[in-house]
Amino acid sequence: MLLADFGTSYCKLLDTATSAKPRILPTRDLGKNFIADLATGHNAKRRSKRSMNELTALARGGRRLINKPDFVLLDCGSRDIKFIRYEDFEVADMGWNAECGASMGFTIELLSKYYDIDYSAVPIPESGFSITCGVLGMSHIFDAVVSGSSETEAVAKFVRGIARNAYRFAGTPEKIYLSGGLCDNPLFTGSFPCDIVPLGRFVLLEGLKEYLATNQRP
Amino acid sequence: MNRRIGIVGIPPLAVIRKINADRDSIVDLDEPQLQLAIDLSSKYLPRVYCAILRTVVLNGMHLDLDRIYIDVGPGKCDCALHVSTILTDMLAIPITPTRNLDMESFGTPICRSNLPLLNKFLAITNGVQSSEPSTPHEPCTPTAGFWGVPPRDFSILSLFPDSTHVYGWTRCMENKTPAKLTLESYYNPNIPTVFFAQSFCAKTALARHLANQHPKALYLDCDVNAGSSARAKIEAFLELSGVQTSSRGGKHAAG
Repeated sequence: MLLADFGTSYCKLLDTATSAKPRILPTRDLGKNFIADLATGHNAKRRSKRSMNELTALARGGRRLINKPDFVLLDCGSRDIKFIRYEDFEVADMGWNAECGASMGFTIELLSKYYDIDYSAVPIPESGFSITCGVLGMSHIFDAVVSGSSETEAVAKFVRGIARNAYRFAGTPEKIYLSGGLCDNPLFTGSFPCDIVPLGRFVLLEGLKEYLATNQRP
Repeated sequence: MNRRIGIVGIPPLAVIRKINADRDSIVDLDEPQLQLAIDLSSKYLPRVYCAILRTVVLNGMHLDLDRIYIDVGPGKCDCALHVSTILTDMLAIPITPTRNLDMESFGTPICRSNLPLLNKFLAITNGVQSSEPSTPHEPCTPTAGFWGVPPRDFSILSLFPDSTHVYGWTRCMENKTPAKLTLESYYNPNIPTVFFAQSFCAKTALARHLANQHPKALYLDCDVNAGSSARAKIEAFLELSGVQTSSRGGKHAAG
């Protein structure tokens, strides 16, 4: 069975009939007629035989991977941010912000390419910009560069601001399990003022696997 | 007399009875009556304002009406009070502010029925134009709850199962007691409930407060139209709460 998490920038694909690991494909490279058996993500309804809501997939994936009674799981995508809070093994709160958390991941990737910045080599700044949206936040970078900051310093403050905004969105917990491509960005993960447990990019695929496992039981 | 009378909120029953006795027709200005961009109302109201009252102004700007009754008391909101001033300055027809303090209960059979949630809301909002109680309906066992005012965007209602019971101000509407705060504050703690708030409405505070008290609640704030994230939150909340929704989602894999 072909499972897919159709992200805005990247698709995560898994064929459960093989032992191969999930693969990541830029969304723009996906074939026009590609159809998954079960999928989640922005294009899931159009590109799959069955689709699952992203929040549901995130909650199921978190339950499968974390398996603790209480936790907060935050997914930072290209276009939006989502969180699920479990309490006593039940979903107690959730959020999906496609407006004020807009384009965070996409903007962070865009900036690294434009300014040629390797985020693993950038120290975490002591202060950051107050940012609620990737697009609107970019003006802070331009202002800082005009005021004499280096481009790298300005982008680092931007990334820190993005992380702090995501932290507040998730309800300022003491510990966050993080999902999404930004797990691989040490500047981003290091900018949170709480413990971060990166789970990687395949949490939503795990949610689809959990759905299959649950619904294939006799 | 065949006049067209606009109403905002729920004017007192005495007003509704008089309009009906005069054989005038009622136009509910809280609801979108025209296919026009809501931003046209920004000539008179800030863009960051309650979408229901922006709709009222938009309707007032473009409908040919003979009079408007606008409820501005505890059965509606303070924002409506200011909108009544704007309508008075804006239009050449009589604008009559009312303060509906009716407390006689007419019952809430539709809120507790097994009708599709969208049909429940259509029946309840239409019922405002009548001084009669709702037609009888058998109550069903609730599996989910919707608390709040009628949303500007009714499309979210199709996400709920038919066994959803209605609470909050919408229940007060059916009961014809819009200012009855005890009824508005009532919820069923035994069923997962979406506490809906129309953005920039004063009732958002009550929605959030009650959602914090309810053991299984989703607080949901929506402006003019419900975006994909709002719809996804409702879907996920119902699914993860174990609520069986209908098969309206087609090939959607309900968890």
